[in-house]
Amino acid sequence: MLQCIFILSDSGEVIVEKQMVGHRVDRAICGWFWDYVLANAAGDPSKILQVVVSPTHYLFQIYRNGVTFLACTQVEMPPLMAIEFLSRVADVLTDYLGDLNEDIIKDNFVIVYQILDEMMDNGFPLTTEPNILKELIAPPNIVNKMLNVVTGKSSTLGSKLPDAAASFVPWRTTVVKDASNEVYVNIVEELDACVNREGVLVKCEAYGEIQVNCSLPGVPELTMSFANPTIMNDFTFHPCVRFRPWESDQVLSFVPPDGQFKLMSYRVKKLKKTPIYVKPQLTSDSGNCRVSVMVGIRNDPGKPIDSITVQFQLPPLIVSADLTANYGTVDILADKTCLWTIGQIPKDKAPALSGNLRLEEGLAQLHTMPTFQVKFKIMGVALSGLQIDKLDVKNTPSAPYKGFRAQTQAGKYEVRS
Amino acid sequence: MFGLQSSGAAASWVVGRMGTDAHLYDDPDDASIPALLDSRFDADKVDALKRLLALIAQGVDVAHLFPQVAFPISLLRFSSSSSSSSCCCSHYSIRLTPGSELRTYRWSRTLHRSRWRSRSLFTSTSYTTPTSINSFPRCGSRRQNEALLSVNIFQKDLSDINPLVRAWALRTMAGIRLHVVAPLVLVAVKKCARDPSAYVRKCAAYALCKLSDLLPDEAMALEEIVDILFGDNSPGVVGAAALAFKTVCPSCLALVSKHFRRLCETLPDIEEWTQIILIEILLRYVIARHGLVKDSLLSVEIQGINDSDPVASMPTQHDSAGNGLCGTISNIMLFRHYIEEFSGFPDGEGDSLRLSSVTTSGNNDVAILLKCTSPLLWSRNSGVILAAASVHWIMAPIGDMLGNILVFAKTMPLLFAPFYEEFFINASDPYQTRALKLEILTTIATEPSIQAIFEEFQDYIKDPDRKFVADTVAAVALCAQKLPSIATTCLEGLLALVFYESSISNSGHFDGEDAVLVQAIMSIKAIVKVNPVSYEKVIVRLVRSVDKIKEPAARCLIIWIFGEYNFMGSLISRIVSAVLKYLAWTFTADVVETKLQILNASAKVIMHCPEEHMEEFKRIVAYVIELSTYDLNYDVRDRARLLSRLLPCYTTRRGPSHHPPNGDICKELAYHIFDGKLQPSSPSTNNYRIYLPGSLSQVVLHAAPGYTPLPKPQSMGLSHNKIIEPNRNNNSVAESGSSIYESSSVYDSESEGDGLSDRGTDGSLHHQDNQDAPLVHIYDTSIQQGQTGQNAEENFADLISTDLTELMSKSALESWLDEAPADTLVQNSLQASSARVTFTNHSFEQKPKLHTLLDSSDSNGLRVLYAFSSEVSPRSRILVCVDLYLENVTTQQLTDIAIKSEEASSGVDSIGQTSEGSVSVPTIVPVEGIHSLAPQQTAKMVLEVHFHHHLLPLKLSVLCNGKIHPAKLHPDIAYFVRPLPMDLNAFLCKENQLRGMFEYARRCAFKDHLDKLEHSDKNLQVAHSVASKILSNTNVHLVSMDMPVTFNVDDTSGLCWRFSSEIPSTSKPCLITVLAEGHASGPLDLTVKVNSEDTVFALNLLNRVVAIIE
Repeated sequence: MLQCIFILSDSGEVIVEKQMVGHRVDRAICGWFWDYVLANAAGDPSKILQVVVSPTHYLFQIYRNGVTFLACTQVEMPPLMAIEFLSRVADVLTDYLGDLNEDIIKDNFVIVYQILDEMMDNGFPLTTEPNILKELIAPPNIVNKMLNVVTGKSSTLGSKLPDAAASFVPWRTTVVKDASNEVYVNIVEELDACVNREGVLVKCEAYGEIQVNCSLPGVPELTMSFANPTIMNDFTFHPCVRFRPWESDQVLSFVPPDGQFKLMSYRVKKLKKTPIYVKPQLTSDSGNCRVSVMVGIRNDPGKPIDSITVQFQLPPLIVSADLTANYGTVDILADKTCLWTIGQIPKDKAPALSGNLRLEEGLAQLHTMPTFQVKFKIMGVALSGLQIDKLDVKNTPSAPYKGFRAQTQAGKYEVRS
Repeated sequence: MFGLQSSGAAASWVVGRMGTDAHLYDDPDDASIPALLDSRFDADKVDALKRLLALIAQGVDVAHLFPQVAFPISLLRFSSSSSSSSCCCSHYSIRLTPGSELRTYRWSRTLHRSRWRSRSLFTSTSYTTPTSINSFPRCGSRRQNEALLSVNIFQKDLSDINPLVRAWALRTMAGIRLHVVAPLVLVAVKKCARDPSAYVRKCAAYALCKLSDLLPDEAMALEEIVDILFGDNSPGVVGAAALAFKTVCPSCLALVSKHFRRLCETLPDIEEWTQIILIEILLRYVIARHGLVKDSLLSVEIQGINDSDPVASMPTQHDSAGNGLCGTISNIMLFRHYIEEFSGFPDGEGDSLRLSSVTTSGNNDVAILLKCTSPLLWSRNSGVILAAASVHWIMAPIGDMLGNILVFAKTMPLLFAPFYEEFFINASDPYQTRALKLEILTTIATEPSIQAIFEEFQDYIKDPDRKFVADTVAAVALCAQKLPSIATTCLEGLLALVFYESSISNSGHFDGEDAVLVQAIMSIKAIVKVNPVSYEKVIVRLVRSVDKIKEPAARCLIIWIFGEYNFMGSLISRIVSAVLKYLAWTFTADVVETKLQILNASAKVIMHCPEEHMEEFKRIVAYVIELSTYDLNYDVRDRARLLSRLLPCYTTRRGPSHHPPNGDICKELAYHIFDGKLQPSSPSTNNYRIYLPGSLSQVVLHAAPGYTPLPKPQSMGLSHNKIIEPNRNNNSVAESGSSIYESSSVYDSESEGDGLSDRGTDGSLHHQDNQDAPLVHIYDTSIQQGQTGQNAEENFADLISTDLTELMSKSALESWLDEAPADTLVQNSLQASSARVTFTNHSFEQKPKLHTLLDSSDSNGLRVLYAFSSEVSPRSRILVCVDLYLENVTTQQLTDIAIKSEEASSGVDSIGQTSEGSVSVPTIVPVEGIHSLAPQQTAKMVLEVHFHHHLLPLKLSVLCNGKIHPAKLHPDIAYFVRPLPMDLNAFLCKENQLRGMFEYARRCAFKDHLDKLEHSDKNLQVAHSVASKILSNTNVHLVSMDMPVTFNVDDTSGLCWRFSSEIPSTSKPCLITVLAEGHASGPLDLTVKVNSEDTVFALNLLNRVVAIIE
């Protein structure tokens, strides 16, 4: 049972306070929390654990775009429930407000407060389904704002109980207005890989999500099957997915919510190949360290590889760094991070970064080695090889338009040196 | 998703901010809110409400504005049908539809819930926070009326056509946390539980949760509603019902039984949050109903305990080094703690679990539960996944178990062995995650995977986070101990690391390098320890590098290794003399710790040295000892002196001919000191995550408030009965003075009885002062503490000489000398020699304080005094007994004396009528009056009061000679508890369960003992006076009194009292610990600590105890 939720800015200031139960939690706890963050993670809440024990309360926190969601309890409760709930609050707010930052929350504090009020009752999640929430509390939009300016009044609260609130498919609004009768399926994969110092691929796996944007009238019945379902592990499903058909035939059968949602997520483990290679080399002697990083295509995925960047933390104890690349731009950021932006790999040459690091006086060799973090994006292909076999839509008046696409990007793609 | 919003974002900043409420957020106070609220214009009112909300969101108390908000809202509701325009005044709506009175609720609810419900005077009445209500009694009653007015409207709206209105009305009503309103809410909830709209029924379930602590007496009614809701056919309502069940009656598992099958079937359909709750309830039910599953991990382990001697099977940490053993040990530990019955008995008393409490996985209920939870492992909510996984962890047969967290890995490493790659560390992981992953990797490492894991470890060594590197080095040692086949490789790697680190760490550039170096040597030490002889070469190489290593801690470790294994094998003995010479040579340049290590090492060498080198070694050792005799540091000088006494034959330059008389004893002693086998300690064994998986306690590593272990297998019938029939012993004899008390401690009841006859004419009631020396027991030591304490010094001296080893250990000494913080002091004083003195409650003078209820001047000569009594009311344990002493100070007869509660006599409180009995205001049990009281005569009455933990004065009317005299009885929280006899072990065990949030501490000064310091043993005197002070003002049981054994008799640091009590209404223990600091001749600095699950109560009790002491 959560006793209260605080939304904190990135300087630790309380933006919104929402008490949930009779015992008021003093906001001094936020001060304690921020001191803790300063002491343990130099002011970066993403670097501390999500469960923190304070002298008076147990705190749960998540960090999104510079905004910290902090919840307090004094009694035993499943910690994952609190963390998941805070994440859900952050998702819903992002959904409502378009983005999430201190100013947006302050501008829309009335809505934020109402959403918190509706999502949690007596410290326990009440209505978290976005489509019901949206009927109870209208999202802010430009029409509302203009009306507000013109008439001096505004309304964000619905006056009718959404039908879905009591239905067996609470995620779906029963009456979908102006549906364009189309459904889009998007496979988004993240490639997590780890290459060790010898250049051996230690771990390579894809985490994938199937996102569906659905605009169908009535109560449609969708069935989706895969050409190769066996490659997937560790699936999680949206509540709309029925477990039985999946257990027996590995078929997804569901009544979709309206709009965009995450249908399922999965992992494909033990992949053998990465699309690009990154070969860093650091050799140091007598106070100098030569850096050279080569990047190139290893296995052509058949589609262009976009927005390639290589990033690494400069080792401590260096006096100066002189790094240049034959392609792309090299920036050394404020926190001693070197960011090499490549973009697409050119056809005629292999991009290479080279340069010199000058070590501190009296130091002959580097004793710690940086880890290179690689980012890229490939549109139009799912690197895990997952393929959707077919998507059937039933219970709609006319055959809908169906669209499919895929994309892969680098997740935690790390190359050690 | 929101097309409109995105276009809004694209607009310029001005447009973006336009129409938002940002200006209200920034300056909510720039206009007068009350004025706006009273404005005729709706827009102004809306503006004011927005400003209020901004204030609330920023944490400002707006309770004072409540009347202005609530009253218009109430009026508004009445007039809404007539004038639709006034409707919108309380909601900031542009739509003027007739149904928009909803917004009223929004706002009033918002107000209710934020400030009002939490801070306002309302709430203070419902909890035992006495301060605010006392200061604004009038204000409180006014608010109450306003609240009631609004309740009226809400009640009407419960029959509105719109389900949303009904739901919000119910939510708002339940949000008013007022005892007066609670019964009305209960009626509303009953009604809404049968509402046609599922959403309203769901809200009814939520409202139940809020009622449960307001209406403890109505538990049965609440349970009935839960029962109805469980039978609902809407999944959303069933989920909410599960939540209500968990809050209202978590132990009424019998309620689940008739719904069990349906609950399991609905499980996949209900909301994810309630799935987490329902899974837990179902798991508890199955265990309580059917017991553990045969062949599941849990039952296998418990059978294991039963089969063998409980004492023998008690896990000891010492033998956890073994490979396979490690797992089973933590299993036993783990499952002992999971189950209620076991966790209470750390010494194996709970092993009497019968095999009959085991069921098979073929059992229908178990099978259904397992089947229904397995698809939940695919949920998108990680909380659900973990909850489902823990069901399988506990219930499923070992063969098909699943799981994914450290605990699981700890007990069943093989489960995760194939997935070791998952736990490889990412550069972006925060430190805690890395540490956890490292621990998992270490735990699940197996022969086939160790090679890959080891390669990973080698990569980690180069990581910039040196703390993490040190952890990795430690992990290498753990792996090597687990899998001896890789020990050699590990040692090679570690040695290389030591050489490398020693070469760079001298340059002084690095922060964490020392830690890595020290950890590397410690890892080597740990690996070598397993089989020192075979790693002889490693030791030699390490010792040879000692001159390159400058870090003192690292040097110490190497010197220790050298000393410990100096006689092993053939290689080491060859270098001993060279190393010893080197150490003697560098001795003066080393730091204190290193010097001490060198002295120890040389003593070890000399004891094992072969005959042919004897002379040479003796000379070196004698040289070292001589150097240290003149050292600046007294520790070094002491150590040198100790050595020269212990090993006289080796350390003097005189020949072996000189033998002191007790040389053999010394030698024996020296062997025991320097040759004793060290206790291997494994760093990972000390933080068992012993709590249920998926619980908060599991994360924070202590039992969080509200944590309940699994019920005892097949205990359902039992626990159910316990709930239904609370402990009622119908001893109807309401007689004072003869209390029936089941405690083992001797309770002195005569004093009260005698009080009246003894008392003198002045009316003050003094009990017989019992100045005799108390009954003193000392255990832990064999010394009889003299009753007068005259030979205390001798005793202490005696104690010291018998306790030599204790003195040797530095920490024991320090614990006496240092001002350790409260917690550690308690522990230290247990380890250190301290006399534990046992007094029983009755060995103290108990002077209950008398308060005046009615003064003779106000009441025609009747004086009424009262004192809280420590007796237990024969009617009910939750009643508090108050002794009333009535005295007639006039010369005439007084007649018809009676005591009544004011409410009963005046008959006010209109709302109370509907809800009489259930409203928990303090009530008194009617007592028979006294017919007549002769002049100067005194009579005693016992008043039994049900305070409901309220700390407000109880208004009474004293009837005398036909007149009513108002009087106030001030409750004393110290008598709301009752003594809970327990022994010290039980106390410490309980105290350990009640750490963290359950613990409150305050410091205060104690001066009373200064008046009567004539006693020769000051500490005893102090101990006595503190204990008697507390015991005569509170109703607690003295568990133990620890007295420090100090050189300085005046020093009271370490004096420690422990008192135990329980809160009768909830039977929750409430433990009080008092620690002293300072000198007996001056004011004492006391730290009072209260541990209790009822934190609000504990805090109040703490304040009371502090007030008593001061």
